[in-house]
Amino acid sequence: MLDLLLEPLAEPFFVRALLAVALGGVTCACLGAYVVLRRMAFVSTALTHSILPGVVGALLLGFSPYVGALAAALLTAAGAAWLAARKGASEDSAIGVMLSVMFAAGVALMQQANSWRDFAGLLFGSVVAVGEADLRTIALTAAGVLFGLRVLHKELELAAFDEEYATLLGARPGLMRVVLLALVALGAVACVRLVGALLTTALFVIPAATGVLLGRTVPQVMAWGVGCALAGGVAGLYLSYHLPAVPSGAGIVLCCALPYLLARLFAPRR
Amino acid sequence: MTPFWRRLGDAAFALLPTLPYARPEKQACGGEAVVARGLSAGARPDGPAAFVGADFSIPCGCRTALIGPNGSGKSTLLRVLAGLVPPQAGEVLVAGAPPAPGRSRIAYLAQRPQLTEGFPLRLRRLVQMGTYAHHGWFEECRHGEAAVDGALARLGLTELADRPAHALSGGQLQRALLARALVQGAEVLLLDEPYAALDAASREIVERFLFDQGHAFTVLMATHDPADLARFDRILELRAGAVRTRHACSGHDHRHA
Repeated sequence: MLDLLLEPLAEPFFVRALLAVALGGVTCACLGAYVVLRRMAFVSTALTHSILPGVVGALLLGFSPYVGALAAALLTAAGAAWLAARKGASEDSAIGVMLSVMFAAGVALMQQANSWRDFAGLLFGSVVAVGEADLRTIALTAAGVLFGLRVLHKELELAAFDEEYATLLGARPGLMRVVLLALVALGAVACVRLVGALLTTALFVIPAATGVLLGRTVPQVMAWGVGCALAGGVAGLYLSYHLPAVPSGAGIVLCCALPYLLARLFAPRR
Repeated sequence: MTPFWRRLGDAAFALLPTLPYARPEKQACGGEAVVARGLSAGARPDGPAAFVGADFSIPCGCRTALIGPNGSGKSTLLRVLAGLVPPQAGEVLVAGAPPAPGRSRIAYLAQRPQLTEGFPLRLRRLVQMGTYAHHGWFEECRHGEAAVDGALARLGLTELADRPAHALSGGQLQRALLARALVQGAEVLLLDEPYAALDAASREIVERFLFDQGHAFTVLMATHDPADLARFDRILELRAGAVRTRHACSGHDHRHA
C-alpha cells in the first residue's frame, strides 16, 4: 500500500507535477472564492478558453506562450466588458460571444499550425510534462496572485459584498472588478499546463464551491477551497499515475469533485 | 503564537505604502449640513429630471423628514446628496463640500440595500467595514475595534455579532447598516424609508438611536408615515418637481440645549 504512494515520488517528473498542482491549486482556490461569490464562473470559463488562441498564436509567431495566453485572456475580458457596455446588452451574452469567438479563433489557428496532436496537452493538460522553467513560472505567478489577494483583501471583499458602499467610501469597486479579472487571467495562464484550457475553470469553481458550502467567512471559504484543491490535485495525480488510462488533468478535476459532493451531502445548513 | 502564513501575509503590507481612499475631512460640521441651490436631478444623469431648481437647506443637527408621493424623487434626492448620482444642474453642499465618493461624513442607507446574497460574512465584519473610511489601500484593518463594539451595543446587536449577515432579519440588517454608518463617523445620515423593513422592536431601537442622542446627527429621512412626522424638526416636501420646506428648525438651539 505504502509502495503505491512512495513509488511515484522517485520520479522527478512526478515531484514536479505534485509541486505544480499544489501551487496552482492554492492559487486557483483562493481566486475561486471571489469568482464563485461574485457569480463570475462564466467569465472565468471564457478567460480560460481564450488561452487557446493566445498560446497557439504565440507559438506560430514565435514568442512566449505565457505572454500570448495572458494577452488573449485580457483581450477577452476587455472585449466582453466593451460588448456589455452598450445599453440593453446583457453581460452574459457578451461573455458567451467572446468565449466562442476566441475559442473558434484558437481552433482555426491550430489548423494553421497543422498539428492537432501537439495541442492535445494544451486542451486537456499535461502536468507530467511540466519542466523546471514551467514550475518557476507557476511559482512566480502564484506568489504574485496571492500577494495581490492579500494586500487587497478588504477592498475585494467589500466590493464583492456591497458594491454601493464601496463606491461611497471611494474604494473603487469597478477597479477591483478589473483587478480580480486580471488576477484570474494570470492564475488561469499559470494553471493551463495542469488541466488544460478546457478544464482550468474547474480549478476555480469546484474547490471554491466546496469552500462556500463549508466556510462562514471569506478566509474560511479560501481555506476549505485550498484543502479541497490540494487533496483533489494530489489524489488525481496518483490516480493517473497508477491508471494510465486516466489523463492527469481529468483525474485532478474528478478528484476535486469528490470533496464537493461530500460537502454538498453532509455540510450543515448555514 | 502567530502562525507563519499569517505573519507572511502581514509582511506583504510592509512592502507597500498606505494610500487613503480619499482626502481626509477635517473641518467639523458647523452651520448648514445641507445646502442646495437651483438643484435639478433625475434618477439617471441623462434621463428626465425628477425635480427642478430646488432651493433648501438643513441646519446641522436637524432631523428632517422627506415626504412626497411615490415617484416624486425622494430616493433620487437622497442619492444626489450621497454622491451616487450627479446633479443635472445647480449646486449642492453636504457637510461643507460637494458630495462625492470618499466622503466619510455622509452615510446613506438605501431602501433595499443591494448586498450579495449568501455572502459569507459575520455581522461584526459588516459593521467593521465602516472603519475602512479611516483606513486606506494596502492597509490591514486594525483600528476601530472599540468603535465597532460601541456601535454594536448602541444598536442592540452585541449578541448577534457572530451571526452570518445573510441570516439576519430585515430589521437586524437595517440596524447593522446604521451601526456601520456610526463606525464610519458619519455626521449626515441620509435614510431612504428605513422603517419599511423594521419590526416593532427594531423600530424602537432605531428611533432611540436617531432621535434621543442629543442631536449628534443631521438626519434626512424619506418616510411615508404621517403619524411619524411629529418627531421631526423640519419637513421637506417633494411634489410635482418642486421642493418645499415646512416648519423650520434651528439646529444649533437643539445642539447646545
